[in-house]
Amino acid sequence: MLIFDQIRKNDAQLQLLAAMLCCGLLVLLVGLWWVQIVNANRYRASVETQSFRTVRIASVRGKILDRNGVALADNRPSYNVSLYLEELSNEFKKDYKNSRPRKVITTDQPFWKDWLGVSPVKTQYVRLTDAESTQVIRASRYRVVQNVANKVSSVLQTPITLNFTNFTRHYETARSMPYCVVSNLSSSHLARFEEQAGSSLGVDLDIQSKRIYPHSNIAAHVIGYVRSDDSSAVGEDAFFSYRTPDYRGFVGIEGGFDQKLRGRAGAKSVQVNNLGYRQTENIWEQAVPGINVVLTLDLEVQREAETALRKTDAIRRGAVVVMDVRTGDVLALASNPTFSPNQFAHGISQRDYDQIQELTAAKNRATAEQYQAGSIFKTIIALAALENGLDKNKLFRVDPNPRNGGKGAYILGNRIINDTAPPGDYDLERAIVRSSNSYFVQVGLQPNVFERVLELGRRLHLGERMDTNSLPLKQIASGHFPTAASSKNWQAGDKANICIGQGEMDVTPMQMAVMTSALANGGTVLKPRLVDRLESQEPTSIEPPLVFPRAQVRDRLGVSKRSLDILRDAMLQETESSEGTGKHVLGCGFRVCGKTGTAERGELRAEGQKKNTTWFASFAPYESPRYAVIVMVENGASGGGTCAPIAHDVYKALANFEARTQSITLTPSTR
Amino acid sequence: MNTIAIKESSPRVDRLQLVAIFGLMLVGVAFVFSATMVHESAASAHLVKQLWFRQIVWYGIGGAGAVALCFVDYHTLTRWAGIAFWASIVLLVAVMFFGTTRGGAKRWFDLGVFSLQPSEFAKLAFVLALGNFLSRPAEELRLASNFWKALGMMAIPFVLIMKEPDLGSALVFIPTGFAMMLVAGVPRRYLFRLIAFFGILASLILVDVLFAPPDWQIKLEEYQRQRLLVYFGKDFAPPNATPEEKRKALQLQAEKSYQGQQALISVGSGGFWGRGWREGQQTALGFLPPGAAHTDFIFSVIAEEKGFVGSVMVITLYAVVLFTGLRIAGQARDRLGKVLAAGVVTLLFSHIFINIGMNIRLMPVTGIPLPLLSYGGSSVLASMIALGMLQNVHIYRKGY
Repeated sequence: MLIFDQIRKNDAQLQLLAAMLCCGLLVLLVGLWWVQIVNANRYRASVETQSFRTVRIASVRGKILDRNGVALADNRPSYNVSLYLEELSNEFKKDYKNSRPRKVITTDQPFWKDWLGVSPVKTQYVRLTDAESTQVIRASRYRVVQNVANKVSSVLQTPITLNFTNFTRHYETARSMPYCVVSNLSSSHLARFEEQAGSSLGVDLDIQSKRIYPHSNIAAHVIGYVRSDDSSAVGEDAFFSYRTPDYRGFVGIEGGFDQKLRGRAGAKSVQVNNLGYRQTENIWEQAVPGINVVLTLDLEVQREAETALRKTDAIRRGAVVVMDVRTGDVLALASNPTFSPNQFAHGISQRDYDQIQELTAAKNRATAEQYQAGSIFKTIIALAALENGLDKNKLFRVDPNPRNGGKGAYILGNRIINDTAPPGDYDLERAIVRSSNSYFVQVGLQPNVFERVLELGRRLHLGERMDTNSLPLKQIASGHFPTAASSKNWQAGDKANICIGQGEMDVTPMQMAVMTSALANGGTVLKPRLVDRLESQEPTSIEPPLVFPRAQVRDRLGVSKRSLDILRDAMLQETESSEGTGKHVLGCGFRVCGKTGTAERGELRAEGQKKNTTWFASFAPYESPRYAVIVMVENGASGGGTCAPIAHDVYKALANFEARTQSITLTPSTR
Repeated sequence: MNTIAIKESSPRVDRLQLVAIFGLMLVGVAFVFSATMVHESAASAHLVKQLWFRQIVWYGIGGAGAVALCFVDYHTLTRWAGIAFWASIVLLVAVMFFGTTRGGAKRWFDLGVFSLQPSEFAKLAFVLALGNFLSRPAEELRLASNFWKALGMMAIPFVLIMKEPDLGSALVFIPTGFAMMLVAGVPRRYLFRLIAFFGILASLILVDVLFAPPDWQIKLEEYQRQRLLVYFGKDFAPPNATPEEKRKALQLQAEKSYQGQQALISVGSGGFWGRGWREGQQTALGFLPPGAAHTDFIFSVIAEEKGFVGSVMVITLYAVVLFTGLRIAGQARDRLGKVLAAGVVTLLFSHIFINIGMNIRLMPVTGIPLPLLSYGGSSVLASMIALGMLQNVHIYRKGY
């Protein structure tokens, strides 16, 4: 080689030196090869980890709509004014420079400096400890942020309060994220901001999707509630540096369909510099908006059911279930006392929360609370007896109550079963109308009838949870009902209790709605259908909606049409005859078949209180039943007096509903 | 073809070396540009304030100085060597009193337009003076007294620069002095003693700093101790420290190892081809300290943006400069020329090795510039003058 040839001619020392330089350069080359080629990936990864932060972007939550597309749970853009700290970093520096404490010192300097005219008086920064300078820096930053906030405040003409600790925490932990100074701008504030502060230093608007419930507490129990929660859903990346606000549903549809409603969160990466300020942003996964849930509820029927329920007492505890007996569609599902899901979504005050707890208002009484069925269960006893060959005209004699001659009673051994109906002769129809305990105990204790009652209960799936597909509310109770095995050793008294809907059985209003629908539709035990379909939020989506099938048969009662017809006629008399306990329902626009019920609440009797669960189970119209309406009120006066008037209002709403839907279905043909 | 460069009719300057120097200058301007023009505010500054432009100006001034130097035979120059040497010593002493302090070290005179770093010129003066000293007759070199005198010439600036403190610049004197003595023909036994002495001293200091209990440790400057600890990956905290002290020590350690760590990440993340000119993230995001990226850590910028290919190119350019320098030493007309050339070559090499070494964690982090590439007036001027001296030896090889 041209250079080395020249050196070789010369002495050994130069050659030695050349060899050393060669070695040195070779060492560097090997080192570079090791770092840049062998370990390149490791260092690339280090660059990534130190300069990227990942952010979870919440997706827009799906809406919850009623059967007509009216939103029960909606989203509203919420505008916040946020500070972008990276744009303020120079201000921070400037302010710190100015606010660092200084002192004037006079130095003893050598004489020659005096000659040179160097002034002995100097201003210099006071030396600070780390803790002190941290304090000064934090104060500087806060001052800068406060100044900007004041500017924003004067533009918006609204006071802004900042919190030092809160800001400092944000700065320390998330300085690449915008810091929100005003949240939830009103439209007038928004206009002022857009007009005047658009280009202001380091300030910008950011938009969040906020959950709102436009009808406040209507259908609150069906909707359920959400709370702020930005944790990763199943199947998402679990590790994010930061997250944008998101909601998580707890109960109701919000809870049951939480995954669907949430959609899929997106992700972006924010590149930060060595000070942790944001440099660039890059969205690498767009958020997929959540799916809309369309319910079978009708907002107007629901509203009327709730209004009727609290007509006389705002905190009356009760429930109403309205079901289409042909399809299982739940048209209304009301529970009172109620709450507003808005409170949970936007932060609830302790007082409101305590009140909700005290009233157990968050509990869905229609599906999650179990009650003694009382007399409404006599319909099943009647059905069992008719199937067992009971002649509807056969008269049973009811003796007067030894303690109260005006009322009847049934003497079973040494136990007296009280009756609210007077003594006398009863056939089936009169027994239903007067709700005679004695008649139904006598009938129910006839051979084989009780076994048939158990069989009907099994086919109605009493004592079983409804499956979560039909009731995705996360608040479902199973109730209790005896089985052949559990009632094997029962005495007549235990069976007599069942015959009047009491004793070892509990039901939910929803189960009673299914039972009543089965009586109305010819014996088909349907699955309730609360959700009509799941569909994309995008109107242009090509993905077909997922429609839940109607009229899902869970079981059949397996009884004759004749028996059902007899029962239906008797139930009509309950509302239409002069003696009927359910006559308050009259004039609602339908001929209603009904059965009232009043069950003693055994657990309260022990405490010396006499409180009743009152019921009205009904379906209409008599001619071709379409709707089942179940009303339950805790501690009501009586089924007929308390519950039937509520049912009356609900039927009126249903009549309106029919008129509305017919006009809708007629419109295309008239065009 | 190989012999063209050394024909009698060949040009008086070493052309190949000039080409390599010119290449290094281009690289220097390009990457000072890349390292400093990160923010838009930098681009909007006046041209005179832009550092890449200033670097060109420095190359110009340095080049002019080097050319001027070449008009005077190096024999004439070395007559001034003693004066230059003592003048540099005076400057080194003066900087201890009148220098400005930056980052805890007093290394600069603030002259308004630029700051002068006397240690850069002390190195040159030292090469010149030691060369002059070693050019005496070979018999005299065998005398122990002369060996000790040569050692003394090394020790004075060494100690003064250590005091600034600037360990990196001080260390450069040892290999340079050693190489000059070797080439001059100082007897091997002296050189072996020299090597043995420094070797033992260095290892004693290391063992002491790294392993000895605190009471037994010699008093190094705290920052020097920390750098050694960082380099050898040892804990700052003494073994009997409380958890709070340990936490603090760890934090301090993270801060102290930050620059070296970031430089290593920059170099490593360049990979084979690099991210591309001006695409380096470590600089853009400020992980490479903005004050150091275009000066002591310019190599990290090159390595990140041009990858292994770029690194090899830079080293090749340096290799050309160094070995043509050795060739000049070999062709020098006398021992003075040979020793001077060898001194300059070793001086440059020491800078290159220490600087690139600290970018890839071969060496502890010290404030030592990369000749011709790092931004900085003193460094560029000194490097250019050193190269001018090399060319001078080449030009006057025939004794015109």
